[in-house]
Amino acid sequence: MSEFDVIVVGAGPAGSSAAIKLASEKMNVLLVDRADPPGSKNISGGVLWGNDLEKIVPNWNKMAPVERYITSKGVGFLTKDSSIDVNIKSRKFLQGVTGYSVLRVKFDQFLAKRAESAGAMLVSGVTVENLAFKDGKVIGVVQEGDTITADTVILAEGANPRVAIDSGARRPIADQDVAIGIKEVVKLPEATINERFGLTSKEGFAGEYALGFLEDGVEAGGFLYTNRESISLGVVINMGHLRADDKTYSFDIMDQFTDHPSIASLIENGKLSEYSAHLVVEGGYNSFPKQYGNGYMIVGDAAGLSFSNGLMIQGMNYAIASGILAAETAIEAKKSSDFSEKSLSRYKEKLMESFVAKDAYNFKGIEEVTWGKLAHKIMPSLMEDVLVNMFLTDGTPKKHLTELIRKAMKENNVKSSDLLMEGYKMIRRM
Amino acid sequence: MKVEEKLSLLNYKTDPEYAHITIKPPICAVCPDHFCTFACPAKCYTLLNGKLNFKYEDCVECGTCFVACAHGSVTWTNPKGAHGVKYKFG
Repeated sequence: MSEFDVIVVGAGPAGSSAAIKLASEKMNVLLVDRADPPGSKNISGGVLWGNDLEKIVPNWNKMAPVERYITSKGVGFLTKDSSIDVNIKSRKFLQGVTGYSVLRVKFDQFLAKRAESAGAMLVSGVTVENLAFKDGKVIGVVQEGDTITADTVILAEGANPRVAIDSGARRPIADQDVAIGIKEVVKLPEATINERFGLTSKEGFAGEYALGFLEDGVEAGGFLYTNRESISLGVVINMGHLRADDKTYSFDIMDQFTDHPSIASLIENGKLSEYSAHLVVEGGYNSFPKQYGNGYMIVGDAAGLSFSNGLMIQGMNYAIASGILAAETAIEAKKSSDFSEKSLSRYKEKLMESFVAKDAYNFKGIEEVTWGKLAHKIMPSLMEDVLVNMFLTDGTPKKHLTELIRKAMKENNVKSSDLLMEGYKMIRRM
Repeated sequence: MKVEEKLSLLNYKTDPEYAHITIKPPICAVCPDHFCTFACPAKCYTLLNGKLNFKYEDCVECGTCFVACAHGSVTWTNPKGAHGVKYKFG
């Protein structure tokens, strides 16, 4: 007889969602996090889309400590001297709005407490060292030499899943699985943020940027979103490119982003309040690790469940959705008293039927585009040349647009065939 | 602002008795790339007169170095319960 039906390792959105679902179905759950308070090691790089959270915490957006709801989205291409931005602000975003900016220390604590009030045992400030095995099956976790037993263990450790890797439950992380995320939180008065982004107090902006100004072969993306009284912004750096370059420092890319004129003006006179870093799961469909086995399931970032199509980054909602699906599987496994790999393979089936895997499948190979020359180098420099020349008034006669494009392509050494090829790849993948 | 100054804004509960990351100096001594020094966002890895210097106290626990080191020098474990970096915002 196990001490718990389920032990959940990690109280981020994935783990806490699993625990909420399990506890609300009267399962005996232990939710353990190595941070105290839970969530105080977690950071976010984007917007929380709350459709799935709604299923386990109805009206969560009325109760949870959210910052702003996202009414304005932006995509920007930054070159050394210019920025070409597309900003979309639409009343249509307000219909059934589910996207919120959140600060994770507060938010994750809220979710963990929800799990506790649903009946889970919440233990924070305790590091799980390893999984406990018996006859090739996971029977619990090991902490300071003691084994705590459970029928099922759900690993929700995040992007750097030590227990999952060290116990052999998942394969180690490779260059192509992750990017290096660096983020800063800059304090600014609420009124200043509203003014700079054209927002009312509850409305928020979320933008993503291609950092076309980076020299050499390094490609990185930037993100920026508004909290109530601060701006979160950061960079996501391709690990393989940084390695191949071997002369660019990750933290310098962060400075180059915040120093870019069009970003600097958004955070001007702000006070840096926090610097943080986090691996960003980048792998996608083609590199999902094994997500379940005898007596265990892996959810959220730890299971490679994150997604970016270059316009939208999704992580927290996949974490929540996968946590709920793992919880459902654990509940079914208990009903049949079967916690074998075969029984828990239902989790994988549920994932494959869900939007999580479908998004990943539909956009598989997207990394070819999001980490491609077109998005990071060709498009930014071409658009800069064309648009700047179009609007620059220097007393010479205006040129026709096609002439400007041809000239820009020549100056940027872009062949029509390259542009077609890269453009085709982009359209196919997106 | 330098990385060192940015890190000074953070709260840590440093564990003086347990280094959660360790390196194998003989491997680093002959390392051809020292990619860790470029990758680590917290500048925990630096070269001093050509010799790799590592300090775990400034670590923000991102896990970058474990992926970055292709030579098997980095051993990465979680800090003991409640130790390490403690963010205010996230």
